Amino acid sequence: MKKIISRITNSEFLTFSEVLKLKVAIVTLFLLVLTLLSIPLSSFNEFTIDINVFIPMALGLLLLLTILLLVVNLNRSAMHFSIITIIVLTLYYTYESNHFYGYMMFFVTLTIIIFYQDIATYLLYGVSITAYGVYNIFEKGVSIVGLNSINTDVSLYTYTGILIGFYLVFLVQFLISDNIYEKMNNEWVRMNKVLEKYQEFSFKHLAEMLEENSVQPIYKDQKFQQTVSEICVFINEFFEKDADNIAEVVEYYFFLHDQEVDHVIENKELSITARRYASQLSKYLLNQRTEMVSMLFDFSTMFKESTEYTENRYVYNIDKLFSNRIDKLLALAMIYKYLKTEITQFDKWGNVKRILTHEEITEMFVSKEFREFITYEQVNFYLDNEQLFREFL
Amino acid sequence: MRVDTSKFQYKQLETYKEILELHHIKIKTLIVNIINLVFAFVVGYFLVVMKVERIMFVGIIFMFVVLFIVNIALYSYNNDLYNNLKFSMYINTIGEYIIAITLIIIFQTPSMFTLLFLAYAITAIYQDYKAMITSNLALFVSGVLLVVGFDSIFSIPGSTSTQNNFIIVFLILFVLLLTLSSYILIKRKTFFYNHLAQIKESEIRNMDVLIEIEQKRTKKTLDSEEYYKSLELFSRELSKKIGIENIFSRKIQLLRDLKKYNSAEIIEKYSEYTQDEINELKILELSINQKIRNLGIKASKTQGINVTRKEIFSESQFKSFKHLNDKNYVKIISFVVFYCLIKIDKPYLKELEESNIKDILLNSEYFYRIDRDIIEIYLENNEVFDTIVNDLLKDRWTYEKNN
Repeated sequence: MKKIISRITNSEFLTFSEVLKLKVAIVTLFLLVLTLLSIPLSSFNEFTIDINVFIPMALGLLLLLTILLLVVNLNRSAMHFSIITIIVLTLYYTYESNHFYGYMMFFVTLTIIIFYQDIATYLLYGVSITAYGVYNIFEKGVSIVGLNSINTDVSLYTYTGILIGFYLVFLVQFLISDNIYEKMNNEWVRMNKVLEKYQEFSFKHLAEMLEENSVQPIYKDQKFQQTVSEICVFINEFFEKDADNIAEVVEYYFFLHDQEVDHVIENKELSITARRYASQLSKYLLNQRTEMVSMLFDFSTMFKESTEYTENRYVYNIDKLFSNRIDKLLALAMIYKYLKTEITQFDKWGNVKRILTHEEITEMFVSKEFREFITYEQVNFYLDNEQLFREFL
Repeated sequence: MRVDTSKFQYKQLETYKEILELHHIKIKTLIVNIINLVFAFVVGYFLVVMKVERIMFVGIIFMFVVLFIVNIALYSYNNDLYNNLKFSMYINTIGEYIIAITLIIIFQTPSMFTLLFLAYAITAIYQDYKAMITSNLALFVSGVLLVVGFDSIFSIPGSTSTQNNFIIVFLILFVLLLTLSSYILIKRKTFFYNHLAQIKESEIRNMDVLIEIEQKRTKKTLDSEEYYKSLELFSRELSKKIGIENIFSRKIQLLRDLKKYNSAEIIEKYSEYTQDEINELKILELSINQKIRNLGIKASKTQGINVTRKEIFSESQFKSFKHLNDKNYVKIISFVVFYCLIKIDKPYLKELEESNIKDILLNSEYFYRIDRDIIEIYLENNEVFDTIVNDLLKDRWTYEKNN
């Protein structure tokens, strides 16, 4: 329980699958309580004793299945089973009974479906349960119309109207958040790729620096390998008796640095275990820009001195950065000059040695992607004066 | 051990997150008001059908009108829009419940009682902590008070008071579920804001790292004077071509002087420019400011980057030492390699003290990037880790060895 609470409070740091797992765990807890509640509530309905025994048992089995799926990390299937369980519970609570809490179950079910934040799931199960809810109200709703009601029809319409309204308002909320988060995540993924490019260049500079200094890379250093191996064995002692087993995989990890990893992964003569380890370890190799290298660079950024936040700190569009036309023009010329004179590209041997040609810069300027930096008007100005840019910058 | 991720967070994040959020609150405020408008029409129609007294009709519609007026006023007042919209959010949250409770008390029927759920749904659009707490409290307190204090609402033929008590049990469960659900959904929103704000700042810092490494390797820095000279030539020829006098040269000279003089001296020397104009020009300065340099780096690296739909919510985009399908050995090795690497001197980061490393791994988002069991083993046994590194690795490897 303590672990679940800690996970809930820190859920902004969890990955998508971890959050889904957490959500299913929470829903399962609620379903357990609702299933247990169905036992005392069975005295208020008109089912036969067989049904009243069978349904809670079936629900218990469904819950067990959901938990099993969670344990084996089949989180999406577990999610579907938890939704099916709540739908069965709702049918049970509303089928034969005329109680207001039965009607409340429609809202509880919709809340659980909404909780998963999956548009397809919401459309499929959400529409089904709302449609059933509307049908149920028109079929049996008269039994939950209050004695104070002046007009039965108005009461029934209120019930259905609010249920449909609840569904629709959450659908709107869904569409808004889905749209917002998709855009934000799209930008994040794109930025992630841009960062990887910077890191690729940083890594290449480092590799070339070591080569120029005649220093062997850290992953070839025996002492480094030994240190990694000893700490790994130490950690593994907490997990298994034969802690030394990990040393072989550590050795394999360093061995992979001298191999074409893609070839190792695709080599069908190797055992599946060896190929699987190669695939999983490839993210953490140190001889190219990998996830490990990126995380190291990212980590180092925490210690860099940086200026305070200003309004245009993350703005890279000349038109937004400057209001004065002359300043915009000077900025455009400076960008051209930067691209034309600074080494910003890999040469054909993969070394950081190449600068962009005038033709390449022109191609970049006119490309759609470059509107992130300059406007169409600025491109037109550039094209009109291309020769001056080429000759004097 | 308590994790405090804010301790090692970029200091620029909060302001940018606010800017990101402002844009979204605007959209949400508009949507909530549109829903309220529809809600007001439906309620108005029902009140007419039910032939309620005129005073009641006017009273209810007046509440909607007040809500709209407050929203429009706060939305139009541009000064501190972020806080204005937040305020309008709380007004709306409370307003929805006041209208719902009023209608429930007027009609006293179970069908009207469910208006509380609709009020909740409308306020949930905001996905804001304070609005969520207000809404959940309002739903729970008003729900329980109505069930207990107005039991005539639930007078249904054949129902008993025991059954009515179960309504409270269901209400408690429902509110609890809604609270947890909204809490996690709001946390996810924070996750997206955090990630985007963080990567924007990380970009600037990664560019700094790139320049730092490049300069260490090439021993060269950007030659600003060479840029200004080229700009002078270029602008002179451009002016000739257009047939105007050279309006650029004074500004280029100002750019040079920005390095030599302080702000007061610049204002005095270039009295024809306002402070705002000088501030704008500072962005173009090359030897102190890095905006143009960063713009150049970014422009040179961002071509040909495509994002597929599959990648948008893909797990693989998140860099960590605990990928879902990775074996435990892989999780251990990746963390240990990372740990050993931060213990040694690198061109872009000096070796860190063990106490620092422990502090960072506990109080930064790296805590969540490492498998929980492994990080706990480290935090409880970090001296052992440190001893192994000191015994075997300390001062044995340096990138400058053969310099």
